[in-house]
Amino acid sequence: MPPTSPPNGNAPPADLGGLIEKEQLPAGREALAEPLISHSQRERLLVSMAKSCASKGYGATTIADVCEPAGVSRATFYELFKDKEDCFHAAMELSLADAMGRIVAVYSPDKPWATMVRDAAAAFLDLLANRPEFARMALVEAPSSGDRAFELYASGKRVLQSLLERGRDDPVEEEAIPSSAGRAALSAAESLIVGQILAGNTARLPELLPDIVYITTVPYLGQEEALRQVREAEKATPPAGG
Amino acid sequence: MIARSQRERLLEAAVRVVAEQGYAATTVADLTREAGISRTTFYAMFEDKEACFLAAYDVVVDTLVRRIASAYEAEEGWPRRARAGLAALLDALAEEPELARLALVDVGAAGPAAQRRYRAALQRLTPFFDEGRDFAPGGRNLPANTSRMAIGAVAGLISDELAAGRAGQLPDLLSEVLFATLVPYIGPVAAAREAG
Repeated sequence: MPPTSPPNGNAPPADLGGLIEKEQLPAGREALAEPLISHSQRERLLVSMAKSCASKGYGATTIADVCEPAGVSRATFYELFKDKEDCFHAAMELSLADAMGRIVAVYSPDKPWATMVRDAAAAFLDLLANRPEFARMALVEAPSSGDRAFELYASGKRVLQSLLERGRDDPVEEEAIPSSAGRAALSAAESLIVGQILAGNTARLPELLPDIVYITTVPYLGQEEALRQVREAEKATPPAGG
Repeated sequence: MIARSQRERLLEAAVRVVAEQGYAATTVADLTREAGISRTTFYAMFEDKEACFLAAYDVVVDTLVRRIASAYEAEEGWPRRARAGLAALLDALAEEPELARLALVDVGAAGPAAQRRYRAALQRLTPFFDEGRDFAPGGRNLPANTSRMAIGAVAGLISDELAAGRAGQLPDLLSEVLFATLVPYIGPVAAAREAG
């Protein structure tokens, strides 16, 4: 039994903020400026870290790669961060705070579950499309860049998983489906998103909304209802190739 | 012929060393020592560590895909074929945990080229999943990326087990990965029946 599976209860998480806090995610404490103009040296370094990860990967990124584009000296870097990993971790915290903020904004225990899943997925895809460097850092680099970054990535994923697994009012044959169904569906969605990011299609991620609505709802709603949700999502999605 | 066997020895060594100490900590010197070849010979075959790792990765993936394909093709009917293919994959990974970590976990830390190679490896499984579309009654109505997503679900479940250090228990995961494979094509009720 995977340790990440919550109990099979269907009560909606009444307090999403509490859930995020339990995962020790930095929701609300920091958020990316909109538009993404970085005024402080620290913020410039975080953006620069994300950009370098996007172009050459976290492993190959050097302190110079981070400092030079940010116009910040090495000495200042080491005043702000202990080392490369520390800077990477801070950049991950920033992007997770932003992601959780978006999810909290669309979340309401009163919404039908499928609507909530669709709205959260749409908000998430929109965020990734608008922050391509951070999207790549959080979903491509963080899972393989050391224990601390992985832990942040994993806790963000657990919050999404809780949202998916709880709050349904019309479950189909619940007892028959494996407890890993929600985790598997999230991995499916993540894999599609990461594939598009690596293919350089980050800006077009919002087009994936119908696919992602289907894969995340089909284990719980069945095919017919999940396909109905796909048609709803298509109404809210820019046409592919457009 | 000698050159060929040196290459094979080097690729096997690369799998062992990277699986043991991770990609970032591996040096060309580690690879030449483990393979018993000279530095000059190494650079005659590969430009750098990354090129060698990518070649080793391709060999690992070829072997896995062949095992999946032969188990899959020995069965009749898509759900049974899927079960056989997934069982072969899980068995192969459980037999060689180092290779499993290399194929699914370490590859993520080996840079953008390796990450694209991993995506390409996942794509090689597409034909096995696309058959689900023909098998499913409403298969043509399914979203365009259904196979990609089903493959991602399987890879995710397996990676979670590997990350938790449970490579040896991967065969116990068959029912869960089979459900994840079948559910988008035939729905949860039929998928649970087939996977149970």
